Amino acid sequence: MKLIQFTVFVLFVVVTSCTLDKTDYEAELVTETTEYIEYEEVTAIVSENYTIRIEALNGTLYKGYNEIHLKINNSQTNESLDNSEVTFLPIITDANGNKSSCPHAYNLVYNDNEGYYTGYAVFTSESDSTVHWEIYIDITDNGEVTTVNPAITIAEQNNLNLNMTAFTGNDGEHYFIALVAPQSPSVSQNDLLAGIYKYNKPTSNAGTFPDASQYSYSVVKNHTLLLDPRMPEPSMGNHSSPNNQDLTQESDGLYYGVVNYTMTGNWTLNFILKNENDDIIKGTEVSTEFTPGIEGEKGELHIDILF
Amino acid sequence: MKGITVLILLFGTFVSAQNLQMQQDSVDVQLDEIVIIAAKKKKIETEMKMAVSVDEFLASSDNISFIKRGAYAWEPLLNNMSTERSIITIDGMHVFGACTDKMDPVTSYVESNNLAEIDIQSGQAGGLNGATVAGSIDLKRKSTSFGLSKKWNAAYQTGFEFNNNQFFNLGNASYSGEKLVAEGSISYRKAENYSDGNNDEVNHSQYDKFNTSLGLAYKTSDLSALRVDAIFDKAKDVGFPALPMDLSLSRALITSVAYKQFFENGIVKVWDTKLYFNAVEHYMDDTTRPENLVHMDMPGWSTTYGMVSKINLKKEKFASEIQLNAYDNLSIAEMRMYPQDRSERTMFAFSWPWVTTQYAGLSTSNTYDISEKSQLNFGGALGVNYNYSKYVEFNRIFHPSASQEKTRFLPSLHAGYNLDINQFNLSVGGGYGHRAPSVSEGYGYYIYNSFDRYDYIGNPDLKNEVSYEVNASAGYKTKKGGILAKANYFYIQDYIIGRILSAGSPMNYQSVGVKGYTSLDNATLFNFSLNGKYTVLKDLHWKGTLTYARGLDDNKNNLPFIRPLSYQTSLHYAYQKFGFSTSLNGDYKQINYSPEYGEDQTPSYTNWNASANYTFYIDGYKTVFQVGAENILNEYYSTYADWGNIPRMGRNIFTSLKINF
Ligand SMILES: [Cu+2]
Repeated sequence: MKLIQFTVFVLFVVVTSCTLDKTDYEAELVTETTEYIEYEEVTAIVSENYTIRIEALNGTLYKGYNEIHLKINNSQTNESLDNSEVTFLPIITDANGNKSSCPHAYNLVYNDNEGYYTGYAVFTSESDSTVHWEIYIDITDNGEVTTVNPAITIAEQNNLNLNMTAFTGNDGEHYFIALVAPQSPSVSQNDLLAGIYKYNKPTSNAGTFPDASQYSYSVVKNHTLLLDPRMPEPSMGNHSSPNNQDLTQESDGLYYGVVNYTMTGNWTLNFILKNENDDIIKGTEVSTEFTPGIEGEKGELHIDILF
Repeated sequence: MKGITVLILLFGTFVSAQNLQMQQDSVDVQLDEIVIIAAKKKKIETEMKMAVSVDEFLASSDNISFIKRGAYAWEPLLNNMSTERSIITIDGMHVFGACTDKMDPVTSYVESNNLAEIDIQSGQAGGLNGATVAGSIDLKRKSTSFGLSKKWNAAYQTGFEFNNNQFFNLGNASYSGEKLVAEGSISYRKAENYSDGNNDEVNHSQYDKFNTSLGLAYKTSDLSALRVDAIFDKAKDVGFPALPMDLSLSRALITSVAYKQFFENGIVKVWDTKLYFNAVEHYMDDTTRPENLVHMDMPGWSTTYGMVSKINLKKEKFASEIQLNAYDNLSIAEMRMYPQDRSERTMFAFSWPWVTTQYAGLSTSNTYDISEKSQLNFGGALGVNYNYSKYVEFNRIFHPSASQEKTRFLPSLHAGYNLDINQFNLSVGGGYGHRAPSVSEGYGYYIYNSFDRYDYIGNPDLKNEVSYEVNASAGYKTKKGGILAKANYFYIQDYIIGRILSAGSPMNYQSVGVKGYTSLDNATLFNFSLNGKYTVLKDLHWKGTLTYARGLDDNKNNLPFIRPLSYQTSLHYAYQKFGFSTSLNGDYKQINYSPEYGEDQTPSYTNWNASANYTFYIDGYKTVFQVGAENILNEYYSTYADWGNIPRMGRNIFTSLKINF
C-alpha cells in the first residue's frame, strides 16, 4: 500500500512539471498596448477669475486623437461655470516660427451630467525642442471674454492603435484620419473607430492672431472609409482577415467599422477614402495575393498598427 | 492543478478504504483467473516479424490502414475513416493527442511490450467507450494475474534494422504473488533516416522513442483488487518528412487507478471502476528545416481526467456489459511566428484556443444466445458532449456568431445477428450513431494541412455527424482452412470535411488558401474484405486477404484516403526449430482518387518480404532469433495515404532476438 501511495505521489510530481510554459494570453495582449480609461488632469490654469482644469486620458496629451475635458471653476464665487461659451484652439509653432493648428473641436460642448466641457483635438506632432504647442481658450461669461493660452506638451503616441495620418486628397484638400478605438485590440472582431477631418482653407485674410477663421477644421461628413487590413511582414505574406466592415459615419461624427485581427503582431490598415458621391479622395487597392517571403505592399492611404 | 489535488485526494481515500478491507481478508478462495484477465490474448507480433512496432502490428489488421507522415506515429484509419471518427483508448481510457497536425495519434504513446492485445471493433459496436462512427481501437495493457505458479516472468528483446539503423531494446518483467502483482516494461528505440527504393535518404525521418510502464495490483480481498498503472512515453527528435516541421519533444504520462470487485453469486459478475489522468505535451520544431524562411513555434498540451466504471452481468443465455464513461479534456495549441528578424516582435495566435471537452455517457453491449447456433448482439449508448472555448474570439473571426459553449447529445444503437450452420457462419448487423466534431473540426484555428496545403478553420456550430451503418459477413470453414467475406456500408449524414472558404487569407508559409470544416449533406463509405487461410501441409500454412473500399461525397465525388484494392498473401512454414515466412502485399492502382480533396493518383506497388527464425535455449531460457527482409525488391513506392507522396522505405533487413525468462 505504501508503495502504491508513493508511486502515485511520484507520478503527480512528474505531471506538474511542464517543459514549456503556456502563453499567458492576457499578458501577451498588454505588452504592446495599454488601455487608458481614466481621465486625469493634464494641467490646471489659474487666471484672475477662473481655474481651468484640462483633463485627458492618463493625464497626458498624445499625438493623435485626444478627447479633452475642461472643468472651469469661477474662483471668485468658487462655483463651477456651467453652460457658457467656451472655445478651444490649439496652435503649433514650428522651428521656423510658422504657426498652424490641427483638427479640433473649436466650440466645446457642456456636459450637464458630468459638469465639464468636452471637445477633442488631433495633435499632428509631438512636442520637442523646436516644436511648441499652446492652446487658446476663450471663456465668455456674461458677455465678458476671458482668454488663457497655456503651453502644453504633446507626448509621443506609443500605442500604434491610436496612430494617425495626414494627407492631401485628390481634391486638393487636407485630410486627417486618426484612430480612436480600440486602444487595445485583441485577436477577434474589433470595433474600429476613426475620426476623419479636413482643413477648411481660409476665405478671408488673417485678422489678429489667433484668428480662428484661419485655423478652421471640420469633421468630414458622409464619406466612406474602405478597409483592407493586412500583415506587412514578409513572413506573413500579405495575410489578411475575413469579415471586416468598412467605416461609415455615425451620429457622433466618428466613423465606425469592424476589423478582424487573426493574430497579434504588425498590421497595416489599408484605406480608401470615398466621398458621398463615391469618388475616391485618397487610397489605392492593394494586392490580395498571398505572397510568402515578400513584404506586403501598402496602399497609398494606410495606418500601421501593432498589438 | 486543482484537479490534480482533487484526484490525489480521491486516490488517498481509495487507498485508505482498501486498508480497511484488507483486515477482513480471510479465506483463500482462488479468484477466477479467466475472469480477471482478458479471455483472449493475442501476442503483439505478426507472422512476418516478431519485433513489431504498435503501428506495424495494427497494420496487419484488415480494416486498419494508415496515413503516414514519416517513419513514426502513423495515424490509424479504421474502416477508411480518420481518427476523428474512431475512438482510440488505452484500457478504455481516453487520451487525446496534443498535436494539431496529428503527429501523435494515441497509438504513439504505447509500446508493443506493454500491450497484451489490441481490440478493434467496427462501427457502432465500438460505441461502448464513447461516441464513434468508424469504430473503436482499444489498446489493452498487459495485466498479470495473481498467484501464477511461475512467480517471476521477464522478456528481453533487442534488434537492429539496417535500412534506418534502427536499434531497439525492449524489456519487461512481472512478479505474480498471491496478494501482489507488479509489472513493468521499459523500451528504447532509435532510428536514423530511412532510405527509399532508389537508395536515396529520406531526410527528416529519424526518431527516438523511450517508453516505460509500471503496474501494481493488490488483492484487497478474495474477490477484489486494486490496481495502479502508469505509462510514461517520451519521443524526441522525431522527423516528419511529409510535414514542414518536426517534433522536438513529446511527452505523455498516462496514469490510472482501478478497483475491481468480483461477485460469486447473482447476475453481476464484475464491477470495475477506474479513475484516470493523462497529460500530453507536444513541441514542434521547424528550425531544422533550412527551407523555412519563417519560423513558427507550435506547442500543444492536452490534459484529460476521466472515469470509467463498468459492470458485467451474466444470466443463463444473457450476458451484458454496462459502462459509464466520463472525461474532461483541455486541449491547448499555440502558434507563434517570428519575423525574419527573430529579435523583432512575434506574432501569436491559438490554434486550439483552450478548448474543453467534457463527455459523459452510459453505454451497454449485450449478447443473447438464441440457440447453440445463433446469437443476438445489441447495444447502445447515450452520451452528453459539452465543449467550451475559452478564447472564443478566435473562433468568431470566421464564424462571428460562434457559440462559446455547446452541448450535444450523442445517441447510438446497434444490433447484430450471428448464425452458425455446420461449416457456415453468417452475420448481419446494423447501427446508428452520432459523433461530435473533434477539437480541430470544431475549434481549430489556422491549422495547416500540408496534404492539400490549406489552412483549416473549425466551426463550433457544426452539426453532429450521424452514421447509419449495415454490415454483413459470411464464412466457410473446413478442417484445413476457411474463407471469410465481410462488408460494411456507412451512410454518414452531415459528414464533416474541409471546404475552401472564400473569406480569409492563408497564414502558414506554405499554405495556398483557407478551408473551413463544413458538413456535407452526406457521404457514403463501403468496405469489403475477403480473408482466406489454408493448411497446405501440416507445417505449411497459407493466408490471404483482399480488401476493397469506396467512399463518395454527396456529389458522388471520391472521398480522400480511401484505400484502393489491396492484397496481402503469406506462407508460413515450420521445420523443427526453424520457422520461415514470406509474404506479398500491395495496392492496385488508385482509380478512385480525389483531386477535390488534394489527392493525386497513386500507382500500384508490390512488396515482397521474407523472414526466418530459429528457436533455441540459453541456460534453459527460450530464445528466438529472427532475420528477415522487407521490400526485398527494393521497390520505390508511396501509398495512397502517404502524406505528400513521401516514398516508403526501400529494402530493409531486420534482425531481432527475444529471450523469455
Ligand atoms: Cu505536432
